[in-house]
Amino acid sequence: MRQLLALVLLMQALHVGVAQAAEKFLDLVVTDPYIEMHSGPGRGYPVTYVIGRDEELTVLYSRTDWFKVKAAHGQEGWVRRTDLARTVLPNGDAAPIPPYPEFLTHRWEFGAGYGVYNRQNLVTTYGDFGLTTSLDVELVLQQANGTLDNRYIASIGMRHTFIPEWKWFSPTAGIGTAYQYIEDKNPPAPREKDNQMAYVSLGVRGFITRRFMWRVDWRHYVVFNTLNVYEDLEEWKFGLAVFF
Amino acid sequence: MEIRPSSVLLAAALLGTALLSGCSWFHRGEKKSNDVVVEETPGDPAIVQPQVTRRVVKTPKIKSKDIELGAYFGALSIQDFGTNPVYGVRAAYHVSEDIFLEGFLGRSKAGTTSLEDVFPDITVVSDSGRRFTYYDIDLGYNILPGEIFLGRGRAFNSALYVNVGIGDVKFADKDQFALNFGVGERLLITDWLAMHLDVRDHVFETDLTGRTKNVHNIEATLGLTVFY
Repeated sequence: MRQLLALVLLMQALHVGVAQAAEKFLDLVVTDPYIEMHSGPGRGYPVTYVIGRDEELTVLYSRTDWFKVKAAHGQEGWVRRTDLARTVLPNGDAAPIPPYPEFLTHRWEFGAGYGVYNRQNLVTTYGDFGLTTSLDVELVLQQANGTLDNRYIASIGMRHTFIPEWKWFSPTAGIGTAYQYIEDKNPPAPREKDNQMAYVSLGVRGFITRRFMWRVDWRHYVVFNTLNVYEDLEEWKFGLAVFF
Repeated sequence: MEIRPSSVLLAAALLGTALLSGCSWFHRGEKKSNDVVVEETPGDPAIVQPQVTRRVVKTPKIKSKDIELGAYFGALSIQDFGTNPVYGVRAAYHVSEDIFLEGFLGRSKAGTTSLEDVFPDITVVSDSGRRFTYYDIDLGYNILPGEIFLGRGRAFNSALYVNVGIGDVKFADKDQFALNFGVGERLLITDWLAMHLDVRDHVFETDLTGRTKNVHNIEATLGLTVFY
């Protein structure tokens, strides 16, 4: 057992070594009079080193808006995205700094939020894939905790954004199908423990900054039951999301 | 450069249109599009056919390390049930240098209430119900980024942050909606390894001790995270 563990550890160490050796980093040349290197990835961290014009630097990795770089003499520090964007490749081409995804044409969205479902507190999480700029498929997983019961709701549906060019405030509408599981908490017990549902939704979405966005949604669910009664539920929610 | 017959035709057509329309429209911009037409008749073979195979230069991609994963350990004070060890895992995504989204998954086990201590025959919650598990989804904000100095020659990057969020607490075999908020300090030992000190409160409504009330469950934890 111990030998096996040792072997696994050794393999892992070797793997890390190989991975590091194989890793290639981006080399760039400074074109500004100088570029500032900060001690940390934030505007407040002090400048510890400057790289002069025509000197090379190696980009190691990025964190949010900052890039960890290594100067030709081995000094390491953090450079702001806007500064690094003005450097060039050794062959003179512009530095290939990946831009932030366009909000209009982004593909993926992942978010979470708070809401009210059937007058119960709701925790909601969702993932969304954009088929076009205005049509999305979304998968939502949520938990609604109430006094009498707790509900777990999974839903999949399509969402249409009416004017996706309106970055800050753009209305949406959607339809889809859902499933809810009811967990009994206090009597009276629910008459049915799980249901298939269908929903229509109306909402608004908007851009905040960089990869960050907000959403507000209203949904009306129709519950399919075998009780011979019409049952419907209402939901309001507010969420924050990141997009890629 | 390879000149396609179609582009030459297009250029000729453009020139013709420009001449017909008195060139007024085309002179609005700075670019004079009718300059590019070379005096070549369509179908003229190029003298030298370049045999260049272009080398595709791949520039290495820059890895982004915006995700932080880790675990923590500490003490959780469960209201009316004493203070007990708590442990959990956390994952964060840094959206900007200020904002991050974070998720927590934690577990603890409650002790006994003072009522149970005084009257050992009374049980307020069953044994399995003493398990306290929670998940939180938080929004965090780095309010005080800075540096921490250790002696003369060492400085560690750090940030004091606040977080607020929602989640679920399962206690006494029941899931309750819970709010949580707290303050923490992130100390970066290296640029990819961080130490966390957190104090967070989980608030939820319960009627376990007779009447319905909001209970505060404050935890103090020490954690270690790695940036990916």
